[in-house]
Amino acid sequence: MINWIKEQLHPAPLTLSNGKVVTPKRSAMVYVVPLLVVLTLWAMDITRFNFITLFRRGGQFFVMIGRMIPPDWAYFPSIIEPLIETIMMSITGTLVGAALALPLAFLSSDNIIRNKVFLWVNRLFFSVLRTLPILVFALLFKYIFGIGAFAGTLAIAFFTWLIMTKMLYEIVETIDMGPFEAIESSGATRLRAFWSAIMPQILGQYISITLYNFEMNVRSAAILGYVGAGGLGLLLNEKLGWRQYDKVGLILFALLLTVYAIESTSRLIRKKLS
Amino acid sequence: MIQFKDVVKTYPGGVTALRGVNLEIQQGEFVAIIGLSGAGKSTLLRSINQMHTITSGSLKVNGVEVSSLKGEDLRRFRRKIGMVFQSFNLVKRTTVIKNVLAARVADMSLWKSLLGVYTKADKILALEALDNVGILEKAYVRADMLSGGQQQRVALARCLAQKPDIILADEPVASLDPLTSQQVMADFVKINRQFNITVVANMHHVDIATKYAKRIIGIKAGEIVFDGPSEKLTNDILTEIYGRDLTKDDFMGEA
Ligand SMILES: Nc1ncnc2c1ncn2[C@@H]1O[C@H](COP(=O)(O)OP(=O)(O)OP(=O)(O)O)[C@@H](O)[C@H]1O
Ligand SMILES: [Mg+2]
Repeated sequence: MINWIKEQLHPAPLTLSNGKVVTPKRSAMVYVVPLLVVLTLWAMDITRFNFITLFRRGGQFFVMIGRMIPPDWAYFPSIIEPLIETIMMSITGTLVGAALALPLAFLSSDNIIRNKVFLWVNRLFFSVLRTLPILVFALLFKYIFGIGAFAGTLAIAFFTWLIMTKMLYEIVETIDMGPFEAIESSGATRLRAFWSAIMPQILGQYISITLYNFEMNVRSAAILGYVGAGGLGLLLNEKLGWRQYDKVGLILFALLLTVYAIESTSRLIRKKLS
Repeated sequence: MIQFKDVVKTYPGGVTALRGVNLEIQQGEFVAIIGLSGAGKSTLLRSINQMHTITSGSLKVNGVEVSSLKGEDLRRFRRKIGMVFQSFNLVKRTTVIKNVLAARVADMSLWKSLLGVYTKADKILALEALDNVGILEKAYVRADMLSGGQQQRVALARCLAQKPDIILADEPVASLDPLTSQQVMADFVKINRQFNITVVANMHHVDIATKYAKRIIGIKAGEIVFDGPSEKLTNDILTEIYGRDLTKDDFMGEA
């Protein structure tokens, strides 16, 4: 062990059969691992994380689960509508966000936009926006447009727009620019060259990341109700408040099934695409 | 007609790739440019359609000063100049005909180009272009299913669909095998004669250049050191252009 650590700090030179000597570079892990340990300890101190509380109160988790079983099956008809609302919020939000992401990704790719200043300002602005969690957008839109699914859908659309823009321009920046150059040299604008030379190359990945975002959004949509932005979360919050754990159990069960069904379908399609 | 007058090109990094180039190419000529790697062949070619902007001097195509063109004027000018690349630069994931039709998007209305609806006339033009290079039967095959030589023919057809006055080819056969290279070069010659299209081609292999081009331009460190008919290209001149004796790599060899 001691020897191993010594070797990491001062790697011994290696001699090749022809007599050349290569000194291996020290691995970056030598610095990263101690740093991570210190950061973890520091974070645990700040967040008052300790294992004693975890063991003493952790059991409560299972007590809660116990109260949810068996779920109140008879309650199912009244959650159908909010469940569909949740799914619809995700579908609409994802589609709107994905559609808007395409033009913004075009304007954010450094191999397409040659104006460095524009690119920098544009990217800075949107990367600042992107740091905000989806709940913040939901709260904001709730105050502007009132409680309900519209605010939630808008939050999902906005969030998807920002995330997908970044995912897309990172794909665009690694694309083969040859066809783009060829179309541009034939006298086409960059927009048209993008559309006919780059779009066919990224279409599969575009659909794939749209589905991936949809998966994520179904999960967020369930939470958004918590801040009053529509969907199943609204109901979940209410039933938890009233301590009707058997109904909570049913809601969670329905959510689990839905998310699982959507995820596996979407994964299947994405696999076919790649 | 293409006219270079004291053309200098210095890249932003400080490299001067063209040092006072003087050159005149008439409509319908077939010109090959030869020279070492880094001599400035691609730079010379790309300044003709303003893919690179020259630093000083004058470059006129059919009487128009190229560097004065901007925006829509530049794009309209480029429609008359086709370009072929060593790496073909096709969109591999779509069909051959879509690749050829892509040369038409510059002329179409925006919504038509976005929806990808091409007129019957455009489709016929594209198919005729494919027929001209002998791969009509591949029209609805995906581009990545074709061999290198076939892909380069598609690229040539894409050029033709532009109805160009000039074709600029940057090492069009450098990544093809000898036999295929000869066939593709023969296509270039055929198109050059049939439509009186000027062909300016950068060539990596001296034997191919002299066999197909009537006129050879030798360039060395950004300067033209030879300009004349291919018969006049002697071994001494080649040694001068390349700054060394020629090696096997400078010839493609027998097909
Ligand atoms: N975009 C660029 N920015 C900076 N320098 C460049 C650029 N393109 C080319 N150069 C430099 O200009 C010089 C001429 O390059 P050019 O590509 O014209 O040569 P070439 O004759 O086509 O060579 P090759 O046979 O390798 O293609 C080289 O020194 C090259 O490094
Ligand atoms: Mg080159």
